[in-house]
Amino acid sequence: MSTQQKPVGSLGVAMKRKEDPRFIQGKGHYVDDILLPGMLYLALVRSTYPHAEIISINVSEAMKVPGVKAVITGKDLDSAGLGWLPTFHGLDKQMVLALGKVLFQYQEVAAVFAETRGAAADGAEAVQVEYKPLPVVADPFTAKADKVILRSDRERKTNHIYHWEVGDKDATARALAASPKRISQRIWFQRCHPAPLEPCGCVALFDTMGRLQFHVTSQAPHVYRTALAIVTGIPEDKIHVISPDLGGGFGNKVPVYPGYVCAIVGALKLGRPVKWIETRTENLTSTGFARDYHMDVEIGATPDGRVTALHVATAADHGAFDAAADPSKYPAGMFGVVTGSYDFPVAHAEVDAYFTNKAPGGIAYRCSFRVTEASFAIERAMDILADELKMDSVDLRRKNLIRKEQFPYPSPLGFTYDSGDYHKTLDTALEKIGYKELLKEQAAKRARGELMGIGVSTFTEVVGAGPSKHFDILGIKMFDSAEIRIHPTGAGIVRTGTKSQGQGHETTWAQIVAEELGLDPQNIMVEEGDTDTAPYGLGTYASRSTPVAGAAIAMAARRIREKARKVAAHLLEVGESDVEWKDYQFQVKGVPAKSVTMKQVAFAAYTNMAQNEPGLEATYYYDPPNMTFPNGTYVAVIDVDRETGEVKVRRFLAVDDCGTIINPLVVEGQIHGGLTEGFAIAFMQEIQYDNEGNNLNTNFTDYLVPTSLETPHWETAKTTTPSPHHPIGAKGVGESPNVGSPAAFVNAVIDALSPLGVRHIDMPVTRDKVWRAIREAEARKTQS
Amino acid sequence: MNLQYSGEEKIAASPATVWAFVQDPEKVGRCLPDVVDVAVQDPKHVDAVVQVAVGPVRGKFKLKLELMPDPLGRRIDMKVSGGGFGSAVDLTAGADVIDAGNGTTLLKWSGQAVARGPVAVIGGRVLDAQAKKLIEQAFANVRQQLST
Repeated sequence: MSTQQKPVGSLGVAMKRKEDPRFIQGKGHYVDDILLPGMLYLALVRSTYPHAEIISINVSEAMKVPGVKAVITGKDLDSAGLGWLPTFHGLDKQMVLALGKVLFQYQEVAAVFAETRGAAADGAEAVQVEYKPLPVVADPFTAKADKVILRSDRERKTNHIYHWEVGDKDATARALAASPKRISQRIWFQRCHPAPLEPCGCVALFDTMGRLQFHVTSQAPHVYRTALAIVTGIPEDKIHVISPDLGGGFGNKVPVYPGYVCAIVGALKLGRPVKWIETRTENLTSTGFARDYHMDVEIGATPDGRVTALHVATAADHGAFDAAADPSKYPAGMFGVVTGSYDFPVAHAEVDAYFTNKAPGGIAYRCSFRVTEASFAIERAMDILADELKMDSVDLRRKNLIRKEQFPYPSPLGFTYDSGDYHKTLDTALEKIGYKELLKEQAAKRARGELMGIGVSTFTEVVGAGPSKHFDILGIKMFDSAEIRIHPTGAGIVRTGTKSQGQGHETTWAQIVAEELGLDPQNIMVEEGDTDTAPYGLGTYASRSTPVAGAAIAMAARRIREKARKVAAHLLEVGESDVEWKDYQFQVKGVPAKSVTMKQVAFAAYTNMAQNEPGLEATYYYDPPNMTFPNGTYVAVIDVDRETGEVKVRRFLAVDDCGTIINPLVVEGQIHGGLTEGFAIAFMQEIQYDNEGNNLNTNFTDYLVPTSLETPHWETAKTTTPSPHHPIGAKGVGESPNVGSPAAFVNAVIDALSPLGVRHIDMPVTRDKVWRAIREAEARKTQS
Repeated sequence: MNLQYSGEEKIAASPATVWAFVQDPEKVGRCLPDVVDVAVQDPKHVDAVVQVAVGPVRGKFKLKLELMPDPLGRRIDMKVSGGGFGSAVDLTAGADVIDAGNGTTLLKWSGQAVARGPVAVIGGRVLDAQAKKLIEQAFANVRQQLST
């Protein structure tokens, strides 16, 4: 890939990431790098029981541990009005420290503050908590029976949290009943965890002015500031949130966690800075998990493979508190995108969510809210339908894909898809992977009894929350913002309300400014994560940075251009209406030779602005008119060892259409990372609980993260249909590979096993599950 | 993690001697494998500290034992609960003291244990075998104590 820059302009240039020299030299600055004089360390006492009454908490032994300064419990916090904190969509609340009882294993029970990290851990160990175990509810189906009510603090005495639905229920039922062909399948998207390499943490300090300086691993610093003001009662101007470099987030660093509140309370109570950095186990067991949707999918179709209706009924396991970080009016997020890339005449989707004795969460792990679950359900179900109809799954997809001329496409579940050319993307993928040859190879192998699978996923995402008329968090509309200042020498700084966790904003934001203003992106600094300096924004998650903040940057730059035009007119000694922006500079209309660059104009804006307002800066708050709809075709080619059940991914091709590409190098890196996570989810990862409510995947020996040894080689390609409503046509890409790939992997495995009569295996598709499926299929064959 | 065990010990002592022994909280407490401390609270309750090593999980467990003798049936039931380093164990065990003739006694025992936390997870692969060994060792200790 070329890294050569265009002579002028920056969009589409594969510029190396500006932040990488810092990261690859170990010079990133993370929360745990902060060391302040007199700093105390916080360790949390966590529940060993998934559901139990707290009989007593004895802190006397803990206070004897050398270095321990204080221990606080839920009662202490409750008496200060800090016993509970609201979850982000405002529909539930979460205990900061356990009050009366514990509701999941590893729940926060007490907070120990000490001079060293070791003393804090020793102190936490010495806190004696006496529990009386209560019956455990370990799945949503048991929860539904309401035999044990988990949340006695709530008015409604039921484990049922909400029912949400979208679409035409009756028409869908009628269409399904009238369909000559129908399939139905329960598809479980297992509970998994984003597991960022850097766990969550914070440093809280009240400065000499009594102002809270809060350094925290946050994907949404401004929302944190507002949430902390609401929870603690500290006026918002007395709160300064700083989110430094983040070692990954993937949705895990969106919610506010109890440890943060405890650190702030400790800093206030003890008058010293307090650091809290969670361990890997704490991260996996108590912070926001993802997925855990049990989806009953039904599709109706004609015998020749035209889809007629879709119904999806979901039981969602939300854990002990409804802490899913969804927008207020969308408790099941964007699950309505479950019709995917297909032209369903009618559809109905419903979600019922339940409390269980598991960790709370349901965050958008590298996807827009609940889009990965929806995409997996429809992409898996389309393959099952193809199997039922004895059709090639590609032919079935092609027949039902939304056609190019149908955009903007109103989906039966309420979205308006902005743009796409799904058939072109599919054809590009098939040609590049050599689909016809692969089918021939597969037929020959099947004749020999060998198991080879080709899995396809033609997915559509919905990202970029979002239009303020629909989307808010804690009531705050989901716009985003950018502030650009161009300095006299033509260098500049851009600040946004988003927060990079590795996405490369320092590079891509500079490229948007450079493209819009004809300046050198190397001299456009990007700063995020500081609420004192950045304009208010809702942060980075759900693939909203480029669709929302990226648009704000382009619009702010265009405001600067308008202001600069006045100065340019002065320099060119013509009227403002005679100046046009062309070829990355200001020109006198019809006289290209008479021109000035933005760099010249910037200098003049401070030195020779005539009667114009000095300076060159602008701010823009962007409220998107619609979401964007990235899409793609992914193909996995795999081989299964019939004797051992081992699956080898031989090839994987991702063809993405993410609209206008800002930086192909960054896009490719995003796709590689997302595919690796999708691969892990498909084959390796699950947060399992046993019937007793024990979390069985509490560290990286039990929750596997693929290394370069396990990770397949990724092939990528693109098609481009710009978003018609985004200022630069970009749609966002960071999450597409995580959304689209799990179905391609699983479809490939099932395709390999389909000659044996295997129809579905729930993720993670581990070797033992595949081995068992093969043995069971063989046993069935022997019996018949 | 729910674990179940059973077994029997033939003891070269009379049923009366065995019956007296299993009702003595101090003596029962001392039969716990790798016990480092025993503190009798009352005739039915004893606190004990034991050294635990399950896989990579190593440390001290603080346990509370409650003895529930049934003199009529010559059966002793006990509850053991406690834990340490973020793990918890709840164990119930029962033993019938049966006259085996010739001044000997058969101690027929069964028990079930629930383990929670790291000890159940990290040690999960070896916990079952380890717990079985510990429970067997506990009753073997009873036999040994009474035979000497």
